[in-house]
Amino acid sequence: MAPISPEALSALPSGINLLEGRLFQANQMHEAFRVLRAEAPVHWNPGTDRFNGFWSLVKYEDILHVSKHPEIFISSKGIGGSGLRETPPGQSGGSSSIITMDPPRHVKMRRLVNKGFTPRAVLQLEPKIREITNTILNRIAHRDSCDFVLEVSSQLPLAVICGMMGLEEEHWPLMFDLTNQILGSGDAEYQARVAPDKVGTFEGATLTAADGNRRMNGFFREILEGRRIHPRDDDMVSILLESEVDGERLTEGDIVAFCNLLVVAGNETTRNAISGGLIALCEHAEERARLQDQPDLMPTAVEEILRWTSPLHHMTREATEDQVIRGTEIKAGEKVMMWYPSANRDEDIFDDPYHFDITRDPNDHLAFGFGEHFCLGAGFARAEVRIMFEELLRRFPDIRVTGEPERLRSNFINGVKHLPVTFTPER
Amino acid sequence: MARQVEVDHNRCEGHGKCVLAAPEVFEHREDDLSHVLVDDVPEALVTKVDRAIRVCPRQAIAWRD
Repeated sequence: MAPISPEALSALPSGINLLEGRLFQANQMHEAFRVLRAEAPVHWNPGTDRFNGFWSLVKYEDILHVSKHPEIFISSKGIGGSGLRETPPGQSGGSSSIITMDPPRHVKMRRLVNKGFTPRAVLQLEPKIREITNTILNRIAHRDSCDFVLEVSSQLPLAVICGMMGLEEEHWPLMFDLTNQILGSGDAEYQARVAPDKVGTFEGATLTAADGNRRMNGFFREILEGRRIHPRDDDMVSILLESEVDGERLTEGDIVAFCNLLVVAGNETTRNAISGGLIALCEHAEERARLQDQPDLMPTAVEEILRWTSPLHHMTREATEDQVIRGTEIKAGEKVMMWYPSANRDEDIFDDPYHFDITRDPNDHLAFGFGEHFCLGAGFARAEVRIMFEELLRRFPDIRVTGEPERLRSNFINGVKHLPVTFTPER
Repeated sequence: MARQVEVDHNRCEGHGKCVLAAPEVFEHREDDLSHVLVDDVPEALVTKVDRAIRVCPRQAIAWRD
């Protein structure tokens, strides 16, 4: 069981501030969530002059309830991220992507691309995913150490989503950097493009996200221009260019916002599931040995890695009418935050939730959310995590973490920026 | 009274959770969607179907009224 420090206990629950990215960077959020589940399951987190206050939901059933009512708890007023600003960062010209869209338009837009994410699509791409995985591992195979995030875990999801978008390999590093700027804007490491005196400040974070989105959107406007001149039919960008909703073509802004979302969401979260999965396996030697003895346990191990790491900390919704949750009244116009890592360790749902169990069954975790906005890329995420660990543990069975993971300062993304590992080189 | 279950193909994305929960009732087909195999759900399978409804990540499955 994760211990709760006396200091933490004495300060709770009013002392818990879930706006504070450092709580997550220090990996102490699970202690805070455990206290909140027991003592303040529907918890008001006051705002500041920069952020709205919000209700924190930390119980599995409450988060499920909100997820099942997207018409009451809407996404179009912002879904969280580096802050709780009214307008989510990154949308150009008033356009928004499906992640900040409500029914009924959401499902129509989602259906434009979801054929690219079906189990069959994933299955067809599996050999390619395995090939990419082994190309990545070949690059480290002659050495005995590396930064697992920069050289391994980030590279697979980046290659897969950029490949699906039809982007040339020379552009992938830019997509990686811009994703870090957009989703990791609150972390000083990704604020290199702001003035030195603004690094580490709120303004530095805002500028970093805005700069990342401006450049990402500009990049995709150029890509669209190229596709119009040289049409293709085999990538997501081209599908979106040809698509109609309610008899109308998508605007350039719609397409750019969609592409931005696909790249960002497709490469950041799976990276952290893989990094977090390796950390978890290294911290649980018995479970790891069991998995290496019985590789056919991989599918349930992947689900447990997803539950354990919960790559996304939260999503935000706004109530459109007064609601009562667990006896607490939530007013129309108020924000609710759904804390997925807390749902995934809810004692009322999971037996022994602080035990990492690669054969856990059932394991109905909410790492991909639920309902209307259920992660479109869940199938690819599952396949990428599974194939990476199949190949990684086969080729580098003694790989181990040799230092403290450097975590992202963010209450949105459960990010790992750097992870030193060592292993026996191949031959 | 016998009950029927249905899958809303506007919502289903073929994640396959229902097939795992109740393989006697749901089948994943070529169109990448889940299809119901039986007209009336036998009493013995009601619990399994309830679970399929609960775990469908797209909330695409429901008992017919």
